[in-house]
Amino acid sequence: MSNRVAISGNNTVSSVKDAVLCFFPTRLRHLLARLPDRIWRDVEEIRVRMYQPLILNLGWDECYLTYQGRLTTEINEGYKVETDDLSRIIQLITNSSLYAVEEELRNGFITLPGGHRVGLSGRAVVENGKVRTLKYISGLNFRISKEIQGAADTIIPYVVDRRGCCYHTLIVSPPKCGKTTVLRDLIRQLSYGIPSRNLRGQTVGLVDERSEIAGAYKGVPQHDVGPRTDVLDACPKAEGMMMLLRALSPQVMATDEIGRTEDVAALEEVLNAGVKILATAHASSIDELKQRPVLKRLMDLKLFERYILLCSTPRPGTLKQVIDGVTLRPLGG
Amino acid sequence: MIKLIGCLCILAAGGLFGASKAAGYAHRPQELRSLQAALSLLETEIIYGATPLPEALHQVAQRVNPIIATLFVTAGDDLRSQDGTSVYEAWQRALYQLQDKSHLRSSDISVLANLGSVLGASDRNDQAKHLKLAIERLGVQAAEAEEQARKNVKLWQYLGFFAGAAVVLLLI
Repeated sequence: MSNRVAISGNNTVSSVKDAVLCFFPTRLRHLLARLPDRIWRDVEEIRVRMYQPLILNLGWDECYLTYQGRLTTEINEGYKVETDDLSRIIQLITNSSLYAVEEELRNGFITLPGGHRVGLSGRAVVENGKVRTLKYISGLNFRISKEIQGAADTIIPYVVDRRGCCYHTLIVSPPKCGKTTVLRDLIRQLSYGIPSRNLRGQTVGLVDERSEIAGAYKGVPQHDVGPRTDVLDACPKAEGMMMLLRALSPQVMATDEIGRTEDVAALEEVLNAGVKILATAHASSIDELKQRPVLKRLMDLKLFERYILLCSTPRPGTLKQVIDGVTLRPLGG
Repeated sequence: MIKLIGCLCILAAGGLFGASKAAGYAHRPQELRSLQAALSLLETEIIYGATPLPEALHQVAQRVNPIIATLFVTAGDDLRSQDGTSVYEAWQRALYQLQDKSHLRSSDISVLANLGSVLGASDRNDQAKHLKLAIERLGVQAAEAEEQARKNVKLWQYLGFFAGAAVVLLLI
């Protein structure tokens, strides 16, 4: 089953390149700029660790940047990140203002314009048993976010019936299988409306706890999530769902990575309010889902009507199986 | 006649030299106080507003005297360019310009230079501590500068004029 994949206008190779390169200091910027477009199209992560070679994760392979601006598979030839490089990158991603991103440091990542995220590691400063901030940041991971419009095309028939009625859906897959990308596109399509399925544009409430779906920068979604989508950025899921439910009366509620006890209670509440639910969860199969107490409870409650399983071959976001939530029998795929 | 004009020129030169020396002493405390005020504004922006540094520097620049504003405008512009310049480098460059334009001494500049290495590079509490320290140290410099101004302003004004007069007498 293949997806129709179209890279959207605001996510072309050059815009990804420009958006990411401006956060590297001059020397690294020149070296990275020499990489061919093919690499920039495939790059998923750029890992910068103190005194270690700079690693580019290309999805299918891992490569290292050389001092000449080429790629190598030999880790010893890789460009070793120096203290100065790291401190300059940190200044660039924080706009020279670490004090202004304390909240982000507490969460462990900073969102950049364009919806890309930088994960951070370093020494945690703990206060009253909670992380207050990070000090001595020594590792960064630039996660290039790719918006793939059409990524949800194959699952739409299972999520929306011919009368334009939406099912409560849980998208299930192991990490890196495109859950978030598929969910983002699903939200976008529902928000715009799908004429072929007689679905009018739905008001979608999106609780984006990890700023991954909408990639909001200063509260404004950087990815297209549709014209009828309200995004509650960086908000805890359970609380966020209640806030949206009360204040913004969504027809569809979407959220990422459910798994905590309070999430279930909030989902039940949302369900009782007649709002459709779209969510994702980490697991590689239905059996694995059953082993997690919280998710098992969700299954016992028969809260979801569709379980959509994704896999990463031949490419992330490929539909593996669709399971009916009531009978727990496969529907196709 | 020419002699008279020459004498007047010498007198005027001596007077101006003295006046410029005196102005140095008179302006330094004002500039230091102005810097103190600017740093408290910056502190407010950082601590209560959590304003990003380039923006905070520009905000401060708009509200202080033009000579002191040089420091904040130059550093802010450098940081806004996002070309990988570190805060320390931008601040140092701005300090060179400030030193050229102002009457500040190198001891005053070094107080500010220390601040440059920590500005924006830690959490709010820490920034507050460093800014308070710098403001205090500028206060000490300002007190010393005021003391010197009291002693030296009059002295240099008279000295310049009398030196001019002495030269005139010698030449006549």
